[in-house]
Formats: sequence, C-alpha cells, structure tokens
Amino acid sequence: MIVPNAPRLETERLILRGPEPSDAEPMIAFLLDRERADGFGGYDHRGDAWRWFALNIGHWQLRGYGYFTIELKETGTPAGISGIWNPEGWPEPEIGWVVFEGFEGRGIAREAAERVRRYAYEDLGLTTLTSNIVPGNTRSVALAERMGATYERTYMNYSMGEDMLYRHPGPDEVLG
Amino acid sequence: MSVDVPVLETDRLVLRAPEPQDYPDFKATFASYRSRFMGGPLNAYEAWMLYAAEIGHWEIRGYGMWMVHQRDTGETVGMAGGWCPAKWPEREIAWIIWPDKAGKGFALEATHRVRAHFYEDKGWETAVSYIDPKNLDSIRLAERLGATKDAEAPSIDGSDAVYRHPAPAALRGTQLAHGIDMEIANFQDPLFKPKGWAID
Repeated sequence: MIVPNAPRLETERLILRGPEPSDAEPMIAFLLDRERADGFGGYDHRGDAWRWFALNIGHWQLRGYGYFTIELKETGTPAGISGIWNPEGWPEPEIGWVVFEGFEGRGIAREAAERVRRYAYEDLGLTTLTSNIVPGNTRSVALAERMGATYERTYMNYSMGEDMLYRHPGPDEVLG
Repeated sequence: MSVDVPVLETDRLVLRAPEPQDYPDFKATFASYRSRFMGGPLNAYEAWMLYAAEIGHWEIRGYGMWMVHQRDTGETVGMAGGWCPAKWPEREIAWIIWPDKAGKGFALEATHRVRAHFYEDKGWETAVSYIDPKNLDSIRLAERLGATKDAEAPSIDGSDAVYRHPAPAALRGTQLAHGIDMEIANFQDPLFKPKGWAID
C-alpha cells in the first residue's frame, strides 16, 4: 500500500481506495489524452503525467486526503478517480472527479463523488466543500448541479486559469 | 510514509525522509533564483506540487530525495538522493542546497553518503547526474565526486549534460574515495587555520 492513510470506501457498485502502482498507467493514459483531460488539466509529456501520479501520493501524505482510485466492484477495474484536492494556492478544499474512457454514462462519477463528499464531512470533518470547474466543462457543471452545488464565483486558478467555483450543500444538508 | 526511508548519517548531517514541516524551507529555495537550474523559480502551487511529487517518488520507486539536516541544529540545508521520474533515461543522483547554506561542503558530504548507500546497500552499479551546462557549481561538485561527463549517455531532453559517477569499485578504499573524505574533513575542520591577520 503506497497510501496507508487512505480509507477504503464503498458504494453499491464501487470501491474507493488509495492509489496503487497499478493505477499509474490508466491515470497517465487519461492525463495524456488532451481532449478528455481538458477540464482536469492534462499533459503532453509522459514525464509530467507520471509526476502527477506521484504528487497525488504526496498530497495524501501532506494533507491526509487526496484522490481515490474508483474501482468497479464487479470487475476490479479502475474506472476513474474522485477525491478531495487542496494543494497550496487552491482557494479551498474541493471535490473532484474524473471518469476514464469507456466508463462514462453509468453514473459512476456521481456515485463516487457523493460518497467522497460524505467522507469529507463525516470523516475529515470539513464544514464546506467546493468544486472548481473550468468554463465550458458542461458535463461537470451538470453533475455539480445534480449534486446540489451552486455557482458562487469565477476566479483565476494557478494551473487552470479562469475557473468557476461551485459550492456544495453543507454537512447538515448532506448528512441529514 | 509507508516505504521505509532509512536515516543516513554523516559527521555533520542527518538525512531523513522529507516531512510536511520541512516544506517551507523547500519552498523558499524553489521560489528563488537558486532553483533556476532545477526547473525554477516556481510559484507556490508549483513548489507544493513538486514537494508532493518528491514524497510520491519515494513510494513509487522505493528511493528518493532525503531532506538533509544539520546534526547540531536540526535545521535543513537542502536535499540529496536518487531521482528517476518517468522519462529519465536512468537513475540520477541529485542534490540541492539552500542558498544560505551553500559553501560549507554540505552537498559533497550528503551526496557522497547517499551514493555510498545506493552502491553498498541498494546494489546500484552505476548512476548519473543530469546537470544544466551553465550550472558550473554543480558540474564542479560532480567532478569533485569523481563523476565524468558521459557524452554517449542519453540526456533528459538534450539541454542537460550527463555526468556519470564512478562505479562502486572505484570508490572502495581508493585514492578517489580518500580524496573525497579528505575534502569533507577539511570542511569540517580546516587543516589550515590562519592565526590572526596577515600584516603587509
């Protein structure tokens, strides 16, 4: 286990777990796909994509949270990532999600992101959460809105440039 | 960290895993002109992400860059260790010393120690250092460590020079190894200490 402090979370169809070395290739493939990774921040070079995989592990150690790998219960296949992201320079902790090629359209991102949001409120004790979405990423905007998040403001992100900040409903509303 | 990062010691230094509390020192150097040959200067976001990648490198590769501390004060002075992210042609021995800690022989002492660890404890047969040709201080250090320019070896992207470290056998009880030990010893306790000031 390369991220010992990552819990193992479950949903009906998914396991959310810390990244493992075997997740590197699917993650790198995603990051090098400029079209798919456009809203997340893709790379042109394998070395840079590898570095992202490494720094997510470091993010877990520095912050105590990071991106989980989303694994399909049925097949054990990595289908994407979702987690809480808050590197230095970020406005505040955000929930992010990515679904790899071939896994779209099945509600995987929503199922994972809702579980991650509950974990952030219940286990990490966060009191509010955002999602940062680049203008034009309509699929992510739609998911954020389905999760009850609302547009708050647009700001300049260190790595993404102009970025929209959506605010999620708070712990009281989510945990009921 | 889940990987076991050995603590390495020298006379003046203790090398430990990079920890969250060491980050401000790293950030200060990578925000400065000092980091110009190592991809810097970096903004706060880039520096933090690089530091996170340094930690992840340890977990993925099983080795990485140690945080170098002064034994007497515990202060950090820089980093030294092994570095091999994707796209690196082979394993590198790398170092960086904070600007206000330069000139004391810490890079030589720390790098000599990590190289011995890789050769003697981890079974490495060879290692290189990728150095910007304009980075004369680092080229000098590579040469003091016995490394020589390897024009045949592939570089990272064509803009860096490859210095190949001497093989493990060339550092076991040899004149080269003795010379490095002598130089380190001279930093710790100069052989020639001027008594008073020259009068002329």
